[in-house]
Amino acid sequence: MKEKMPISSTTAVPTPSAAIAADAHRQGPSTTEDPVPSGDEIVPDIHSALPAADPTDKVELDSARTPKMRAHEVSVFYGDKQALKDVSINIHDDRVTAFIGPSGCGKSTFLRTLNRMNDTIPTARVTGHIELDGEDINSSGMDVVQLRARVGMVFQKPNPFPKSIFENVAYGPRIHGLGNSKAELEHIVEKSLKRAGLWDEVKDRLSESGISLSGGQQQRLCIARAIAVDPEVILMDEPCSALDPIATAKIEELIHELRGRYAIAIVTHNMQQAARVSQRTAFFHLGELIEYGKTSEIFTNPTQRRTQDYITGRYG
Amino acid sequence: MSSAAPTRPRHSSDTRLRKRYAAERRFRFAGLFAVGLSALFLAFLLFDMSWKGLSGFTQYQAAVPIDFPRSDLILDPAALKGGDANDVVAGADLEGVLVKAAVATYGADADELFGTGAIRSLGRQLIRDPELLGRSATLWLPVGSKIDVAAKRDSDAASEKLVEQLQSKHALKRTINKDFLVESDATDPSAVGIWGALKGTFLTILVTIVLAFPVGVLAAVYLEEFATRNRWTDAIEVSINNLAAVPSIIFGLLGLAVFLNVMHLPRSAPLVGGLTLALMTMPVIVIAGRNALTSVPPSIRDAALGVGASKMQVVFHHVLPLALPGILTGTIIGMARALGETAPLLMIGMRAFIAAPPSGITDSATVLPVQIFLWSDEVNRGFVEKTSAAIIVLLLFMLVMNGLAIYLRNRFEQRW
Repeated sequence: MKEKMPISSTTAVPTPSAAIAADAHRQGPSTTEDPVPSGDEIVPDIHSALPAADPTDKVELDSARTPKMRAHEVSVFYGDKQALKDVSINIHDDRVTAFIGPSGCGKSTFLRTLNRMNDTIPTARVTGHIELDGEDINSSGMDVVQLRARVGMVFQKPNPFPKSIFENVAYGPRIHGLGNSKAELEHIVEKSLKRAGLWDEVKDRLSESGISLSGGQQQRLCIARAIAVDPEVILMDEPCSALDPIATAKIEELIHELRGRYAIAIVTHNMQQAARVSQRTAFFHLGELIEYGKTSEIFTNPTQRRTQDYITGRYG
Repeated sequence: MSSAAPTRPRHSSDTRLRKRYAAERRFRFAGLFAVGLSALFLAFLLFDMSWKGLSGFTQYQAAVPIDFPRSDLILDPAALKGGDANDVVAGADLEGVLVKAAVATYGADADELFGTGAIRSLGRQLIRDPELLGRSATLWLPVGSKIDVAAKRDSDAASEKLVEQLQSKHALKRTINKDFLVESDATDPSAVGIWGALKGTFLTILVTIVLAFPVGVLAAVYLEEFATRNRWTDAIEVSINNLAAVPSIIFGLLGLAVFLNVMHLPRSAPLVGGLTLALMTMPVIVIAGRNALTSVPPSIRDAALGVGASKMQVVFHHVLPLALPGILTGTIIGMARALGETAPLLMIGMRAFIAAPPSGITDSATVLPVQIFLWSDEVNRGFVEKTSAAIIVLLLFMLVMNGLAIYLRNRFEQRW
């Protein structure tokens, strides 16, 4: 199969394994920060005067001035309990945004509002405004199924379908009519598995069950499955929390490779991970967004006392 | 005593340990006793049934010389080759010929040597070989029920004597009772068969499964996956749970009132029986189906939703296939219950005496459990072994059906 099909533009992103840890602390030339939406008191506007700190700023000059997703004063209620209070965050095309905070602080809840996964919880109610490319995702014109195809998701626990590896990846394209012929589907599956860094490990056993893979491989399979429908944004909800350090390193490397191709938002409990993989970090506490800014700033020079306490391990 | 930490006295911990082991042993014995007792009951049931029932699958045959040209039989050999041969044979006085031949050979007591089974057998042999009518021949024919019982067990003195006489002349042999598997109900136990009831059961269960399985599964899927939780769905859920516990005779009355009196469907037909049993089985399937659907891990739903599957795609591509083994288990239980059900079928008239197997779902029919019930009620001693034999057939039918369902379940089973 792989001899027959030339693969175009699959793994063109340079492998940045060496850059993983260094990325967050690298200082770059100064550019102005993206404007914070007006009426947004919660996002601390601390970065406009500071030097920008990540390598994607060069891209930012000509593109991505408008955020890919814009959340404005989003609140989520589970029954009477308010789980999220007026959160406003922008997620950019070519950056990784990390959400950190102690358990139960609302970061996963916020992530799930971005592709309306909270719709599946009968008691959940979402208020506020969320845009994808300027389109309100909660409007009647936005089809939730199409939205989830554009905003893919990777979950905390690897959850491949109990089907073959091929079927796991091919399922999304098939239901969205992306691959009409078997050859097209095979091409998509191969491309997605290659992007997820799993191709070499599974190419000879695509018909085996997805369950037979190791935990880390399963999670990469889930990422391949999300990539296969060609999303614009990928949401990751603690993707490494069930994995060992080696599998975690592979996933982090993968996130680096995927950056630039997709807007990525990742929830993590692991602050080193946030520092390693993200360019923007948001710190949540008790349902509120405490601080949001460049990862380097959040970790080296937080403006909020609570952020500092959390990062230095005083609570959380 | 200088140490502050409380030290446990050694002997007390030993006592506690002993007590704990003793309790464990007692529990194990109680469990073993329970298992042993149920195994004993099961063994007794199986032994008793095979002891009484297996002989129902055999039939004694007696040899009798018949001189056809000199008998009173008026039959044209040419007529036996036509299409209406059965009618021709039925019109002839075969019984008279048999009684005469038996009395001539074995004495006056032998007038009840042959019954309906022998007449049927003689008719068949004549149709197969019409040339018999032109000569005398010694034929093996199934003996009547009284002699059959006497040969197998004990009976009255006259029959016992006749059996001895036959045996001394080597004119009695035991054969497999093929008629029992291909014939239907009859008044003479030597002529009865199980095929009519078996076919009736098959048709009834077919109607039941065709109706109850899809409707039950779809109801379960809708209630579990699509319905919003409100007072209406709560009420429906409670009703379904209650329906599963309603005594089956009530369903029989319902079937009688609705299907026969209002809709005027044919009486004692597998169609009505199947409809009634479907009403009874559906709640069981709905409950089992909902339990199976709930036990599918939510992560699979999340995964499918996450790649942009619609609600229906999530359910039919992922959740339902994973829940299918559980649903099938519930269906097996429901079907096994329906298969053994007698009471509701009595209510809709399936207890009638039906001597021909049904040719379709609207024909009059009876089912195995009802047939067993009817035979167990008969006075004739020949029916005792037939009843047990019918029970064996019913249990085998159940075994085959359950085996098939378990095979299907294992095929669909996927691990996650």
